[in-house]
Amino acid sequence: MGQFAQFAINGLMSGAIYALIAVGIVSVYKATKVVNFAHGYLIMFGAYFYYTFAVIVPGQPWAPEWLASWQPDWMVEMKGDLGMFSPLGAVLDWLANLPRILLGLLGAVLANAVVGRIIERTLMRPLMGQSVFAMIMVTVGLISIMSGGAQLIWTADADFVPHIAPNTPIRFELFGTMIFLFGADLVNMVIALLLFGGIVAFVRFTKGGIAIRATAEDQSTAYSMGISVPQVFRRAWVLASVTGAIAGAILATRNGISPSLGLFGFSVLAIVLMGGLDSYVGVFIAAMTVGVLEAMTQWQLGGNWAEIVPYVAVLVVLIWRPHGLMGQKEVERI
Amino acid sequence: MLKIENLHLSFGGIKALQGVNFEARKGEITGVIGPNGAGKTSLFNAISGFYTPDQGRVYFEGRDITDLSPDKRAALGLARTFQNIALFRGMTVLDNIKLGGHSRLKTNVWQALRYFGAAQKEELELRREIEERVIDFLEIDHIRKYPITMLPYGLQKRVELGRALAMRPKVLLLDEPVAGMNREETADMARFILDVQEQFGTTILLVEHDMHMVMDICSHIVVLNFGQQIASGTPVEVSKNPDVIEAYLGATA
Repeated sequence: MGQFAQFAINGLMSGAIYALIAVGIVSVYKATKVVNFAHGYLIMFGAYFYYTFAVIVPGQPWAPEWLASWQPDWMVEMKGDLGMFSPLGAVLDWLANLPRILLGLLGAVLANAVVGRIIERTLMRPLMGQSVFAMIMVTVGLISIMSGGAQLIWTADADFVPHIAPNTPIRFELFGTMIFLFGADLVNMVIALLLFGGIVAFVRFTKGGIAIRATAEDQSTAYSMGISVPQVFRRAWVLASVTGAIAGAILATRNGISPSLGLFGFSVLAIVLMGGLDSYVGVFIAAMTVGVLEAMTQWQLGGNWAEIVPYVAVLVVLIWRPHGLMGQKEVERI
Repeated sequence: MLKIENLHLSFGGIKALQGVNFEARKGEITGVIGPNGAGKTSLFNAISGFYTPDQGRVYFEGRDITDLSPDKRAALGLARTFQNIALFRGMTVLDNIKLGGHSRLKTNVWQALRYFGAAQKEELELRREIEERVIDFLEIDHIRKYPITMLPYGLQKRVELGRALAMRPKVLLLDEPVAGMNREETADMARFILDVQEQFGTTILLVEHDMHMVMDICSHIVVLNFGQQIASGTPVEVSKNPDVIEAYLGATA
């Protein structure tokens, strides 16, 4: 039972990251009816931007010293005689990194928002009113451009990036077994859940959100009701790239940085299809389910199976409900 | 009020509109008729901003709006309904109608957070106005909470009219408001259109196939055939025009 809880918690933590990635795909789909195959690569860009602003920039000779490692006197003093794995030590290590973490997150969010806007303005907007299929194909083309572009821009080998939160180990007892997890993973989950919740609330309760929903249902009608459809497109893409930047930063701290980060987009696309392309709630359930299933498979059958079993489940769900768990019936299948 | 000047529109080799000229006068109902494929819906799309004409201008209250996007035209007071019902199917009747008032709400999120009272007041005002001006007016009080998909066709058309009214339009474009309706539903709709004109003084431009209705409620009629304007005038003038009779009934010897 205790083991079970441990793996369930691990699963929920990766599920939350999937949900954060999925939110970008769903938002763009809702607003523009485009299934963004390149979303994973937008996330990869977010990860590289985080790396740029949290590692490369602070390492430059012109960067102030406190940016790379903030070591005020009181911190050095406090750190003096702490043991290897003391929680306070982990927090102090994190504090020393905090300036570059914040710069990294801010830089990643802004830079990715610019990338999202450029994609929307130069590739998507001119195709407005054309067949949606053409736009989807453009996102497929984007995959090559973005993965090639990333390798041109960031030639350095994958490097260590700082965790977003103090990575102190947390141990507690549940059902008679010790549960063990890392603080950073826990905080990542909280960040992902808060962002997800915030976006759902935005779409449900604000004027801009209503504009997105109306556009999702019928573009030309929304346009003639006085809703600026191009603005809705832009908002959706910016939303996707900003959440993608945070997701990218989190993935970079967990999995390291490489162009293959983009592949994450495809696994999450399967999750999105399972939940229903246009349903935040359905996609949330699907993300958590796949996350937990993955962890359980890893526990019972080993790592090799963990890559297969959850996606077989996705397949089964799609055969049973072709529009996903909570997708709308009229939703186009791809 | 709404003036169309020498409008030309073509899609590749197909000339959808070739020199359409007329004016929808303030507070009157103007009808556009013509056989299938005459260019009526193209004309509507050019007026509401979905198509850009190759040549010619569209004036709204004397202002040239030919280059404005659809949402800007809507903000000026130009509302339309669609030939195929274009309601938001996932929403209730009330939500659909309130969406018509969407573009008139001024408060954004930040203002709403800071001045919650003002935002609430604006929302309540919109709501009251919708109650009186749209829901009671169109006699759809009993179905306000229903999802759109549960309603019969005739009522859906009425809700669509309601949503357009919530935009408080100066000019209302109705694309086949009674298409596919039985006689009773047609009579109801005709009555509502006349009421809108009378009570709110809205300028109305409508496209319709139902000759009886058009002749009954319009004060001015424009006839299109293969993209060309073949007649324009009062219902009596138009119905006596030999070109119109030929277009509708074929040449008579």
